[in-house]
Amino acid sequence: MKVQKVSPRSTHVQPNATKRKNKWRLHNRRALGLNSSDLSPNSTFAKVEHQLANREKSHLKRLKKLHAKRIILSLEDSSSVKAKDRDQPGTFSHVHTNGGGTELEVNSNSEDSQDWRSYAKSVLQNGVECSAGQESPDAASPEQLEEEELQYHAQLDRSHNRTILVMQQGQTLCFRGKCLLTCLYGRVEVLGFTIEEGQQPYPMFSPPSHCPLTITALGDNSPTIKSRKEGRLEAKAIIRKYLSTEPRKRLLSEVDADSCVVLLEPLDTPLTRFLTSFTELNQLFNLSAKELRSQAAIYNPALSAVGVTALRGPFGRGLVMSQSYRQALSSLLSAWAGEFDRCPVILVCGAKNSGKSTFVRHLINSLLNHTASVDYLECDLGQTEFTPPGCLSLITVTEPLLGPPFTHQQDPEHMVFYGQPDCQSDLDRYLDSLKSLWRYYSGENPVIINTMGWVKGHGFQVLVDLIRFFSVTHVVQLSYGDTPQCQSLTPEFMRSAHGFQTHPPAPPTLGDESDNHATARNHVLLAVRSEFEGAGSAGETRHQRSNELRDLALLGYFSQLQSPEPGPIRPLHCFVPYQVPHSAVAIGVTHCEVAPNHILYAANASLVGLCCLGEKVSGRGGPVLLSQTPICQCVGLGVLRGVDMSRGLYFVVTPVSPMVLRQVNCLLLGEVTLPKALLTVQPGVEGELPYVTTDYSFEVKGAGKVHVFKGLMRPAFVKTKTNN
Amino acid sequence: MKKKTSEKTRHVVAWLNKAEWDQVLDYLYSKDPALQKHALHRISAWKGRFGHNTPVAVGSTADLVRCQVLDSSGQVDGEALVLLYGMALVRFVNLITERQQKGVARPLRRLASKMNIPEWIVNLRHDLTHHRLPPLKWCRKGCSFVLDWLQQEYWSRQLGSRLAEDWDSAEEEEDEQEWSKRQEEELALRQKEREGYKRARELLISYEREQFQTYEELMESGSQGLWPEPSADLSWILAQITHFNTESREILIDALVQDGFLIPTVDQLESLGIDTSEGAVDPLTPSLPRVFLRFWLPLLRVLNSPSFIGHLLDKLLAELATEPANHRSFYITAWISEILLCNSNRQRKMKRKDKIFSNRQQFRWQHLISACVNAPCSATPYLLQQILSDMDEPLPSDTQENLLRLCSIYTQTGNHGNHSPGNPDPTQPVYTLQSLQERLRGGATPHKHAPPTEDLHEHLSPEVLQERNSALRGSAWQVCTDRVPWKLYPLGKVPGQSEDPSCLMLETYTTFTIFDQQVELDKLPQHHGNPSGLVQPKTAADGPLWTHSDISKLKAGLQLF
Repeated sequence: MKVQKVSPRSTHVQPNATKRKNKWRLHNRRALGLNSSDLSPNSTFAKVEHQLANREKSHLKRLKKLHAKRIILSLEDSSSVKAKDRDQPGTFSHVHTNGGGTELEVNSNSEDSQDWRSYAKSVLQNGVECSAGQESPDAASPEQLEEEELQYHAQLDRSHNRTILVMQQGQTLCFRGKCLLTCLYGRVEVLGFTIEEGQQPYPMFSPPSHCPLTITALGDNSPTIKSRKEGRLEAKAIIRKYLSTEPRKRLLSEVDADSCVVLLEPLDTPLTRFLTSFTELNQLFNLSAKELRSQAAIYNPALSAVGVTALRGPFGRGLVMSQSYRQALSSLLSAWAGEFDRCPVILVCGAKNSGKSTFVRHLINSLLNHTASVDYLECDLGQTEFTPPGCLSLITVTEPLLGPPFTHQQDPEHMVFYGQPDCQSDLDRYLDSLKSLWRYYSGENPVIINTMGWVKGHGFQVLVDLIRFFSVTHVVQLSYGDTPQCQSLTPEFMRSAHGFQTHPPAPPTLGDESDNHATARNHVLLAVRSEFEGAGSAGETRHQRSNELRDLALLGYFSQLQSPEPGPIRPLHCFVPYQVPHSAVAIGVTHCEVAPNHILYAANASLVGLCCLGEKVSGRGGPVLLSQTPICQCVGLGVLRGVDMSRGLYFVVTPVSPMVLRQVNCLLLGEVTLPKALLTVQPGVEGELPYVTTDYSFEVKGAGKVHVFKGLMRPAFVKTKTNN
Repeated sequence: MKKKTSEKTRHVVAWLNKAEWDQVLDYLYSKDPALQKHALHRISAWKGRFGHNTPVAVGSTADLVRCQVLDSSGQVDGEALVLLYGMALVRFVNLITERQQKGVARPLRRLASKMNIPEWIVNLRHDLTHHRLPPLKWCRKGCSFVLDWLQQEYWSRQLGSRLAEDWDSAEEEEDEQEWSKRQEEELALRQKEREGYKRARELLISYEREQFQTYEELMESGSQGLWPEPSADLSWILAQITHFNTESREILIDALVQDGFLIPTVDQLESLGIDTSEGAVDPLTPSLPRVFLRFWLPLLRVLNSPSFIGHLLDKLLAELATEPANHRSFYITAWISEILLCNSNRQRKMKRKDKIFSNRQQFRWQHLISACVNAPCSATPYLLQQILSDMDEPLPSDTQENLLRLCSIYTQTGNHGNHSPGNPDPTQPVYTLQSLQERLRGGATPHKHAPPTEDLHEHLSPEVLQERNSALRGSAWQVCTDRVPWKLYPLGKVPGQSEDPSCLMLETYTTFTIFDQQVELDKLPQHHGNPSGLVQPKTAADGPLWTHSDISKLKAGLQLF
């Protein structure tokens, strides 16, 4: 059908088709003849140029970071207000223009903050425009809209397998799939992060487990000396550099000074290769069943060649940002810009599935436009952002988050292994672990505290504790629906709220003084109402359930073992393990009591946290068992691949580097287990797999886990319920 | 669903193997408190592995056996025992019936009776929770009844062979969720496939339409045989098909070999002016009508990557295997022959105009031969001859001879002996296709077929090993340098590990207590706090705000097992 649709255009060209054909052939011949000598230097040159540009950019980033740090230092060293005032605008404008550094004469503090206010406002307006745009389609005829949407001007450079995409200012591309994005001309925005020409390529992951990513063309709005014509010529020159004559033609006519030119390349990393090597995950980056069913894909060969599928209609709206969402974002941005005494400490809370993680990612990305690094304290054990589940961590983020957690797993600077995907069983250890992490917070960067979705009962008390412990300056409280999921965490409420470990401050007895204190401690509460479809209800399609996401995070983590060079995907058991004597590392179980003589039955072939105790571990023969669960630094995770009983050795497979591994003297076991697939699929092994059976029947009574029938109604209540 | 019948689902369980399961089961019901204790300890490790996925029956059995062990020890007084038994019984009744609940709460008695749990057990449970505590005697009775019930309903039905046959309908637990997930995935996959097919057909039809038009123009102009260069429209379609090919080659190939595309319908042939009468073609030496070949040439030329051709060949052979001798099989063999011809060494020297591809390609010859003999039809000897004469490493001539003879015997084309007068080796007669294939395999060069898992094993280069070990020097860690083919050892197994379920038991161990547990809050950073401070936030951290918990935790930490 689509073939016919386009054919009018090609018949239009037909008169000079023969001519073109000749050229084509000529071109071919030339290409064949010069293939090795003439063409390749050209392309390598382009590559080098590209790399150079990248290097320059990363250099720039580093510079930026240094700069930012120096200012903070100066802040601490001498609290001279003048020096601060002079430096501060420098950093910001520097960062803001990404080193373009053209018109930075902002000297006075007021002017600078004005600048910021206007920026924050623009974020807000931007959003307003968007939402208006979202509603207008209903008014406009749907067909027209359809037609517009289909127009992605993308061309594939077949020799390098990469695609050039030209977007008009304001145009959006909401997509599924994965790719590597480089901005060649203009500026684009993805989940709050602005990518400009000359910046490094960024990997993007938009699997159907999460809200799809949207690339928005911002155009080049930096006031430059360039005229429109120059801009257009520059953009065209870029396209010429990347495309051969044939596909180039179709794009050149679309380019203007305020368009954006984006390079998309297929993304093939150890992570993607490892994940898609599992049969149940080989559709991980394709459309969801619902999207397929409603034919949400826009067919575009040039985009799909690099692994990107554009979405249309209601599916192509991407992230739904409510008014309060935008307001919260913009006031946090201006808080970071406007406050000089201290960095904002932002706590994000809300019930399950209220959109916390997405908001946090959006916020981090937005902040990274203005500062080189953002700190992040992970308090959500179940859906961790950077680490496998069950770990609490403090991490300095320098790269934008353009994908779900399982695509950016790493070992943070500071991590504590808690061992369970929720904190209910040991709230004290949970809170103490967080406190121990907080000791490492430098105070130099804004910090974002992501919390768990447990906002009832003790969970709510824990939130109160967290706000007190970390002297939070901004609380973002997300909610959905008509009835709030929990009480509003206003400063007034905090004055009388009881936490799990903390209690409200004593009533003022000394008059003025304590009054001052109370007002000084107040935080700002930003209430955000989530209005996206399905807010508050757990995702139900594949890879959206929390246990699946946990498995994905673990698989993402262990994909770091795979060699970066393309080659076969190695199952975990094929790696050469590290070995360590039983007596040199302590071993313990975090989540239940295991009989000491039998502990290796729990440990064998299990996921272990690799931890460092402050004390020296040395056993008097035999393994060393911990009598209680320690709160200590965890450097990463591993698989206790086997136990050699005769020689007294543990064998561990881990992506943690040997330099770090040498400090490890404690292995902790938790309730978070290896993804089933890592045990059930072990190619190359002959005979039975340990811990795997095909003969276990779930049909037998009592074979399943404790089943909690949620929402079980008492017969007496049935009537009243239905009446409501 | 289909998958399940052919391949059982693999479940991850807490026991290493069946031996461990059997041992625990024996010990639990041994009536010997020492053995029962051993089993309970092992179940504590199982719970560590299972986490919250511990089967209800395992948990309940352990709770009840624990009561019996404590009871027999004589160290717990009667009232305490009632409480212990009571909790274990209440939990059993509630948890085991929970799965039967649907929507609205139903009386336990009714649920229990469906599960062969007598009413007196349920009454016992009600007494324990709502009425006066029952006497110890009744608790003991209840306990031993329930343990028997568990043995019958759970332990002896699990991992036995008895249930093996009703596996299809199993998996209540692994469960609606998993199942619907799988359903959905399959659905999505099928949907995608369907769309792919639709699109492939659309593309191919538009290609055919375009080509027919060109053909008609050709006929009108009278310059038969010389097809023009692809028109702009056609190029566009070709580009689309190429794209489609990069995405879903298999679908494209599947569509291509359907009737109406590479296998022409009679109508199509007639409109191309090809004689369709019976005797027009020779099924023994199939070849494509030139017009028809030229019709498809533009498409095949743009698609002719080695892997495409390889795939197409495989597909054609696979199709042939399921076809009786007919029109379809003729065209399939004709295409196979055409491809082989294009690739053949001899033909390459001759100038041929209508070649699908021009560079010689590496076919998987062994595979090709077995595929060819697996799809016997009247043209098989002809095709086999082509393959044999074109192999890179030709088979010994007598093997070739035998193969061809046998083949012609099988297909009853008979005349083979005429042009192969060679000397059949009577000492090694080949009677069946199977033995023939075996022989082929035997004669094949085995070093080519290295097991695919060979390179799965990680080989650390000496440099990497050196680097890692020097980074670890001075610590207790080191890279394992045993020469162990790790790929043969699944996770949880090491060389020399015995199958004995007691192989991981510890006889000696050291208990390690950490004293440096408390989080020192005065080490919290100062600067992040509000300098003016309120309830002396940071510096007064040793105030009543939190430290008491640290102390209490230290106390709590000193637990015994």
